[in-house]
Amino acid sequence: MVDYQPLNRIAGTRKGFDRQVYSVCQECTVGCGLAAFLQDDIIVDVQGVEQHPVSRGRLCARGVAFTQGLRHPRRITLPAARNTLSQSFEAAMNWEKALDLFAERLRRIRDRESVDALVIGCDPEAGLDFWLGARRFARLWGTPHVYHPWDSPDAKQSLPLKSPTAPCTRWADSACLLLVEADLAATHPVAFGWVLEAQNKGAKLIVVDNRFTATMSKADLALTIRPGSGNRFGLWLMKAILEENRQHAQAVADNFEPAPDWQAAYDALDWEGLEPSTGLSQGGLLNVSRFLAGMPSAFVITGKRLEHLPSHGIWLTLCTAMGWAVRPNSGWYPLESGLPRFNCDSDIELPAAESIPPPAGPFPYQPPDRQERDLAFKALIASGNCLADFFLPLRPQLKRAELVGFFGSFPNFTCDQSHALFPAAAWAERDGLCFSNDRALQWANRIVAPADACRSGLDFWSGLAQRFGWQEFFPWIKKNDRADQAGFYDWLLKRSPDTQGCELAQIRAADHLQSWPADPEKLVRRQPPMFASDSGRLQPALPPAEFGAQERPEAEDLFPLAYHSTRVVSRATDAGRWWPWAAELEDENAVQIHPDIAQILGIENGDEVVVAGPRGCIDGRAWLSRMVGRRVIWSPQRLDESRVLVHKKGQSGEDALNRLKADLA
Amino acid sequence: MTPTRKHALMIDASRCIGCHSCAVACKMEHELPAGPRTVKVIQIGPLEADGPPMMRYETVTCFHCDRPACVSACPTGAMQKRPDGLVFSEPSLCIGCQTCAVACPFGIPELNPATGKIAKCDGCRERVDRGLWPACALKCPTGCLSYGAPLRVVQDLRMREAVTIARSIAVR
Repeated sequence: MVDYQPLNRIAGTRKGFDRQVYSVCQECTVGCGLAAFLQDDIIVDVQGVEQHPVSRGRLCARGVAFTQGLRHPRRITLPAARNTLSQSFEAAMNWEKALDLFAERLRRIRDRESVDALVIGCDPEAGLDFWLGARRFARLWGTPHVYHPWDSPDAKQSLPLKSPTAPCTRWADSACLLLVEADLAATHPVAFGWVLEAQNKGAKLIVVDNRFTATMSKADLALTIRPGSGNRFGLWLMKAILEENRQHAQAVADNFEPAPDWQAAYDALDWEGLEPSTGLSQGGLLNVSRFLAGMPSAFVITGKRLEHLPSHGIWLTLCTAMGWAVRPNSGWYPLESGLPRFNCDSDIELPAAESIPPPAGPFPYQPPDRQERDLAFKALIASGNCLADFFLPLRPQLKRAELVGFFGSFPNFTCDQSHALFPAAAWAERDGLCFSNDRALQWANRIVAPADACRSGLDFWSGLAQRFGWQEFFPWIKKNDRADQAGFYDWLLKRSPDTQGCELAQIRAADHLQSWPADPEKLVRRQPPMFASDSGRLQPALPPAEFGAQERPEAEDLFPLAYHSTRVVSRATDAGRWWPWAAELEDENAVQIHPDIAQILGIENGDEVVVAGPRGCIDGRAWLSRMVGRRVIWSPQRLDESRVLVHKKGQSGEDALNRLKADLA
Repeated sequence: MTPTRKHALMIDASRCIGCHSCAVACKMEHELPAGPRTVKVIQIGPLEADGPPMMRYETVTCFHCDRPACVSACPTGAMQKRPDGLVFSEPSLCIGCQTCAVACPFGIPELNPATGKIAKCDGCRERVDRGLWPACALKCPTGCLSYGAPLRVVQDLRMREAVTIARSIAVR
């Protein structure tokens, strides 16, 4: 057999430096090792760590460009406050005074309103410690409303495996990879290297997504489905497999709860419903099921967004029915599944049960057919630019808010809506533990000191808790009012059932990373019973009632196009908009329109366009591309709409609608 | 002493995922502002022609031509070709006239608005003089870019193709 030895990589820096710091990139959840070279405490070069087992010396655009944000002239580095939004900020105040003022105003709201009047939005940009600190503070306060894009709405159901899924480095040894709404080439480029390595070894790559993505351009088999129909695709795929009896009979017998009728639920589905619900033809779907059935091993990799949509459990059912859940180099890999179950607030006694309302449900990614909710909040603590991202649905309710606190780094919409600014330390400015996609635990060393008065999320929550007399629940505060990050994460590791046995001192001393669980045998012990249910067996996911019935979105008459938004390769968080190198790579105002639809509407490449939905609209610049389907509009800008109408600036919406209707007719 | 041993940058477009890591790595290495793109990643497609849509990315940087038009055109001698083949612009001699940009058939040289001088790929000459890989190749997350002696690079390309063919017909 021909064996391939790649060229020897010769890494290093040519620049003069007086200090070198090894750390971990936190722009996404891959956890790439990086070496920063500093001269007079300024980063002069960043290189990947060649020996790092996950990244092997590679870094993506974000992992290189982040240094531009640290010393950006527009960065918020001092706390500030104002009484009303019409006033300008009173800057140059210290943290203590800013926290005193903010806590006083919060206390007044707490005395007057119900406990759920406080809502907290945690953007990944603010750091893991901000999210975990927010959960402790919220528990002390009594509000259930703490939201983070990584928070799984069905954490208990999504991965009820006794042993965690195999790490992404194992993808390289699989025979087949099925990626569903997971554009890894854009969101996790370094991890996508493992997919390409598998392909180079002969693995087949099947990509199913809402538009033709960079990931799809590498696929052996690519399918474009309707936006938001990823889990529905899984249900139809299960039907196709069962109909041709391609499931692994022994795996079904060994692992499923004995329920003879479950296959009948799929038999009852009418193929007529496939095209309206997913946009696929029966032939195309059968092709995929036959292709998959012939594979000795396969990984199913699903995007984070699917976790917030109904029937997410179908992927575990599918992998179990095909026998992949128990085979090596196979299984289900929901993205961001490297996070263990955090047990960061159960030591705090809850207030009286009747006073705690339920959380508002899945927030970060709204299902298109969601019901309107009214959180009736009076105070909001927000980080990053969450009001322009996963908190978009809260924007209509903002006018009722009496107090908005912003913990972030750059001016943005959320900052504009706030009464108090608290400057956030960037990930390169704080020590911390990283939980990567690969279930790796790594200690990320601080690379540079925080700019001016910037502090970590744990500093923020500890300071705020002190002012409410809850300092005993935040014992990590030190004499200089800064939180002891190592002490906090050491405490956290011991409290999670997944990370028990993992010692922080060992992780900090390790060359690169350690995996959770501490017992590595659990990873290879993949034998039945392998599910965390009482019986050790899995209750198969069934198609919901009315599934497959022909549905027509209510707004389709007035808004005939579907709207879809995803992240782009050069930006993971809002801070990335402020890096000049990253900003010039991709237009954040781009609006992708299919050339056929653009022709009907008289839109040309580069035209200024308006994308309008029932609740709101955005402006952008037309990018004519066949990456989107004929009736789909895409943009990196988040818009709280699933149905839209697009028209050129200066053209009336009615004219555009009439032209599209004529085309439909 | 300027090295005379030639090296080659291999671009395997089939592995490019359009992540722009190379472009940003180059900017960081040479401390360039927004504007000049010394390494460009160009998306082609998706195109639909008698089959499923096709899309690919092409990484484009200076070809360091054997007979570079930019060097011949430069009125001050700033644009030079080293014995090892690297074509670069010497900042102390460059007057920012952009004659090289007009002469280049590939549109490679661009004006750096921060310095008023030409910015172009110099093959990371200071890095390679120290025996290091160029920044773009080192950061590439997929192996699209790799670097080495021309014979070894060609051998690498042949080996990759041979392995791909061998593995595609092998029973896994």
